[in-house]
Amino acid sequence: MQASLEQKYNFEIVRWFTVMAVVYLVVGAAVGVYIASELAWPFLNFDSPYISFGRLRPVHTNAVIFAFGGCTLMATAFYTVQRTCGVRLWSDKWARFTFWGWNAVIVLAVLTLPFGLTQSKEYAELEWPIDILIAVVWLSFTINFIMTIAIRKTSHIYVSNWFFLGMMVMIVYLHVVNSLAIPVGLFKSYSIFSGVQDAMIQWWWGHNAVGFYLTAGFLGIMYYFVPKQAGRPIYSYRLSVIHFWALMFGYVWLGAHHLQYTALPDWTGSLGAAVSIAMIIPSWGGAVNGMMTLSGAWDRLRTDYVLRFLIIALAFYAMSTFEGPVMALKTVNALSHYTDWTIGHVHSGALGWVAGISIGAIYHLMTRLYHTEMFSVRLINFHFWTATIGTVIYIVAMWVSGIMQGLMWRAYDEYGTLAYTFVESVDAMHPYYAMRAIGGMIFLLGAVVMLFNVLMTIRKSVVSGSLDKARAVPVAA
Amino acid sequence: MNSLVSYFETDWQAMTLNDWVGTILTVVIFLLMLVAYFQVFRPKNRERLESKKHILFDEDRENNGDNDGGP
Repeated sequence: MQASLEQKYNFEIVRWFTVMAVVYLVVGAAVGVYIASELAWPFLNFDSPYISFGRLRPVHTNAVIFAFGGCTLMATAFYTVQRTCGVRLWSDKWARFTFWGWNAVIVLAVLTLPFGLTQSKEYAELEWPIDILIAVVWLSFTINFIMTIAIRKTSHIYVSNWFFLGMMVMIVYLHVVNSLAIPVGLFKSYSIFSGVQDAMIQWWWGHNAVGFYLTAGFLGIMYYFVPKQAGRPIYSYRLSVIHFWALMFGYVWLGAHHLQYTALPDWTGSLGAAVSIAMIIPSWGGAVNGMMTLSGAWDRLRTDYVLRFLIIALAFYAMSTFEGPVMALKTVNALSHYTDWTIGHVHSGALGWVAGISIGAIYHLMTRLYHTEMFSVRLINFHFWTATIGTVIYIVAMWVSGIMQGLMWRAYDEYGTLAYTFVESVDAMHPYYAMRAIGGMIFLLGAVVMLFNVLMTIRKSVVSGSLDKARAVPVAA
Repeated sequence: MNSLVSYFETDWQAMTLNDWVGTILTVVIFLLMLVAYFQVFRPKNRERLESKKHILFDEDRENNGDNDGGP
């Protein structure tokens, strides 16, 4: 029966994206650890502009968000849409184009960013020719997904597909508008927006990249893989419907909370903060929905390491979707803005939620795609603890560092002058920067172990011929 | 004019087309959310919506308990 699935669906493209996702996780995390180490021990710059923090930081963010995150989203979206719609992908050729196109974008990012070729827009650094390629490749992904839903054999569109679709549509809109620029050369362009409008568009994109790409897309993963791994349906389907619509309607308003106390009109920041607080409700609704799926079967967490990844990811999702709205409030923002607290918050979402749910989904996929058990369950367990401990060390270091930074920057003496110079605050950060680098190294160690485990599982499948056997069985009628 | 009234005071004459489009969209989206909440939590719709959560396992049942194509 496995073979009928192997022949009925296009799992080949899912395998490609899955393996590349793990490779990019290691690469992106390694660059992250290196630049974190540069902040702690600046000699690591080696006086080379190409490996300085400013050049490598966008390499890190692009590698983890678009290379690792993108490949994970494409693998899981292509897998789940086929499984929930009961049909093969609409076009195998388009799927292959998406794979090679997306990887070409990643290669071009690595070839341009270290040389300083950038639009200087956060999370949208790539220059205009690559932006056009991103739009074309993303559209090929989106159209293939939509057409697969259009030819489905099931009457209902399962909720995970709604989340994936919401992400796809919104990312087209956000990416195109945010990237509007006037080219003045092959590698140089200027945004058509300027001043405060440019800032607002930047953070309309920036926060919605978090909301629709790093949240909605990965919630699509959650709504498929948590029930599948647990072997139980989602706790409440009605809650998932409300979760979806509240997220779609609410998230687009939040970007302004990144610009509190700037030239942006005051009411815009207040609106961003108010809607941020309101978003706690659907976010926690979704997190509870995922966790309660295990209701009555919590003992599974003792033995199922993949499920542990998925559930701990939901815990981080709940935590970071509470922390974010609190940081959006003007009084809290006055302390937290421009400090490392923001970096800690981002990484509790990125390492805890996005990476956690992705890693769980990838381990789940590996056994289904290669028709064999994982090479080592003990290594999955080892990975779980390194990922969790590394993440916690990282975010605790940044919380302490960030709050200390904020307090030092706004401390006054009795004469009304600043109590600390900026360089004193930098000096005070050193132990926490070292601690952050160590947390990152522990997380990276887990990622390397995962890559080893994945490659050995593929080898095991090749040696046992499990995939070939699955392909050879006749298709069921 | 008390403080609450002054807080909500709006210079309607100064509203631009963008302001009106934004305002109307905001109200429409708010109303649509209310409709969504009403429809989803209406007891009559409970069984119909909750039955959809089993879709994930339909294929496994058809395949006689096959473990999702896994080993």
